[in-house]
Amino acid sequence: MVPETAQLKSANVKIFRGPFAIFSSVRLTVVLLTLMAATVLLGAWCPQESAVGQEKVIEQFGEEMAVNLHNWGITDLFHTPYFLILVAVLSLNMIAGSLEKVFPKLLLLKLPLPFYQAQQLEKFPFHAKLTSSAQPNTIMEAWQIQLQKRGFKTVVRGNQLAAEFGKIGRLAPTITHIGLLSLLLGVTITSWTGFSGFKPVRMGSDLTFGDSEHSKLWIGQLPTWKVHVDSTKREDYESGEAKQWYSNLSVIDKSGKTITSQEISVNNPLSYGGVDIYQSSWGMDQIVVSFNGRERALDLRPMGKLYAAFLPLDADTILIFSIKDQDKPLRLFAKRPEWGAPKLITEVPMGKSLMLGSVKMTYVKAVPVTGLQYKADPGLPIVYTAFGFIIVGVMLAAIPFRHVWIVVEQQGPGSVVYIGGRSKKAKTGFARMMTKLIAQLAAQWPEEALAEPVFHSDAITNGEAITNNEHADEHKLVTVGSTRRNDHV
Amino acid sequence: MSEFQLALTNTAGVSSVMSFWVFVASNGLKRWRDGMLKAASIVMAIGFVCLTVSIATRGLEAQRFPLANLYESLLWFAWATMGGYLLLSGAYGIRQLGWLASLTAATFFLYGSWLPASQHEITPLVPALVSYWRQIHVPPLIVSYAMFFLAGLSGLLQLFHARRYMSLALAGATIVLSGTAIALGTFTTVDTRWLQALFVGGSLIGMVSAYKSLKVTKGEPAIKAAELYDDVSYRAIAIGFPLLTIGVITGALWANHAWGTYWSWDPKESMALVTWLSYAAYIHLRVHQEISAEKLSLVSIAGLLLTLLTYLGFNSLGFGGLHSYGRFK
Repeated sequence: MVPETAQLKSANVKIFRGPFAIFSSVRLTVVLLTLMAATVLLGAWCPQESAVGQEKVIEQFGEEMAVNLHNWGITDLFHTPYFLILVAVLSLNMIAGSLEKVFPKLLLLKLPLPFYQAQQLEKFPFHAKLTSSAQPNTIMEAWQIQLQKRGFKTVVRGNQLAAEFGKIGRLAPTITHIGLLSLLLGVTITSWTGFSGFKPVRMGSDLTFGDSEHSKLWIGQLPTWKVHVDSTKREDYESGEAKQWYSNLSVIDKSGKTITSQEISVNNPLSYGGVDIYQSSWGMDQIVVSFNGRERALDLRPMGKLYAAFLPLDADTILIFSIKDQDKPLRLFAKRPEWGAPKLITEVPMGKSLMLGSVKMTYVKAVPVTGLQYKADPGLPIVYTAFGFIIVGVMLAAIPFRHVWIVVEQQGPGSVVYIGGRSKKAKTGFARMMTKLIAQLAAQWPEEALAEPVFHSDAITNGEAITNNEHADEHKLVTVGSTRRNDHV
Repeated sequence: MSEFQLALTNTAGVSSVMSFWVFVASNGLKRWRDGMLKAASIVMAIGFVCLTVSIATRGLEAQRFPLANLYESLLWFAWATMGGYLLLSGAYGIRQLGWLASLTAATFFLYGSWLPASQHEITPLVPALVSYWRQIHVPPLIVSYAMFFLAGLSGLLQLFHARRYMSLALAGATIVLSGTAIALGTFTTVDTRWLQALFVGGSLIGMVSAYKSLKVTKGEPAIKAAELYDDVSYRAIAIGFPLLTIGVITGALWANHAWGTYWSWDPKESMALVTWLSYAAYIHLRVHQEISAEKLSLVSIAGLLLTLLTYLGFNSLGFGGLHSYGRFK
């Protein structure tokens, strides 16, 4: 074990002891992540009743299987005690790991780079030894310049050099864990104080919040104001496909006074008093027709791109009213068993009448319905901040964290150079970079006869010391090695 | 779709097939191996450029960001696979990954070309997709999927160079089986429950068997090429994981903006979370645990299968959900 490993381990703090020590175990983290992944996979495979309703489960699996899945808790997996316990243990593990292992590492950032003796460098995953005719100062200066060119920060102390790359990447676990813990906090706040719901509201009707959904452990408050749907419409592409849905909403307080109005559409919600109201769906709900002056509302059913209402006239004849949206004329069909398909009788624009035998029928209006999704999410700012931390954290994690140490000693008229280095992440890439660097530096002294390909290939071999006896020149590579990945510190 | 865009897409598809065969042939002709590997990479680079122009042209023709249906996402996936390979081969000087990368790109081109004509045509967006969030949320996900594929393919090469042939064969067969389930789910009317069982059951049995047949002796000297592909696999994941994170989080932001909830346990978002968790586990294993490169390779291959399930499986195997506009049946 190289000295730095001891330094890293010494940074750990012990908070959970005895049987509780398991909560800060990385092995437990991996087991919990795997269990969580398997559980979520199961929940993704089986339609969740809370999202799509029980009918969807029955439709997919049949009644018998659906009952079994329901009894096993799989149809509402994300609300089962098992899942909640899993989340709780994972949270505890994350908190323990963060406090004991992740956050204390921040202290290491303040520590100066350590220096090592020549013999210690041989214990590093990447190590090499060279001899050179050049003087130690010249060699040290050349290494310093080359490492700085590659983005390393270097510190020289006598005949020793320590260099570091990607220190900022070391913040990655801390920032990611802060993000994950903040996410947990935000979600908890929302769970305790937030609410949500969905309501189809007819044009001219109100949205209220009395039947909102919220958790059992809830300390929030529901709004006393309501939302009136002034109008709602659908916009189509030229091809007839729906392009957008719009609703004009007014917020009305207890006294009936309009506080604010706004047009919403999909991806463009109304926000008021901590509640967001979203355009979620749209459809035609009713048509109002009058027969000899008596108005009657007929419920519409979606039929593909159209909506239809059915009015039985007698045992065999059905009158079918069909519309596409509130601006289009009403189409009237009749259906009898002996006819293969309904027959179009006529089209009636809104406000117009026609005679059906002795009955005068007037198309009064069509009533659209707008699907409004609403929610109050007090923890959202914390959740969004957490998202920011997580994104920054995982991006920093991609930065490799690298160390290089050089010791140059006088040997006769020349020098011997000891090199040690390690990279916590992309180790082969690091070995390649170091090998190229060694070859490049060797090339600075033209009398040296080192062949670059030898360095290139050997430096990424594993753990074996290589003696290059072919080049008995003044500056030669004596050993190069890199250890197997899982033997690394 | 214009003739010009079609020609560019076809050129990219043919390039991936050609580069695949040149990569394969290079293994049998050692004398010209280096030259052939270089030529195959150049052919793939030409395909990559053609596909870049093709996607841009499609965007201009559609007058919107060209990532709105399954076909367009497949073009992006092939583009990211080719680009990801060129990036990794440039960084590591590896070319053997090329034949698997070009095979993957060619397979996805073929899959895309078999989709119904309505998928190839430029069609209007459904209301849910009319948002600037689409171009923020989807590209990072597709690119991350491609990087995870490359990581899994590097895992296969790591097993090959480490001479773990039985594990390699089992892992390879599992990927083929899973791909078959996806293809059957997309192009046939086979009951999706059987296909789900084939994908999930086959993956579980295949990966557990591959793990069981893996024998790693402690202190065993590593093989240079195997170490290299282990590193490449990690590098690809190191690029893909932040992109997946960005994709999942921007998806949550979009969902909150559009549907009023940033998480609704929709099958596709749940599956993206599963994939995220699996790669989080990979990173924890790699950084904190002393685990062999071969075992990590199997984790990256399992990640590839989860990525396949997230990207194509949930739509083609009939899981449904809010993301079902990725379907075409």
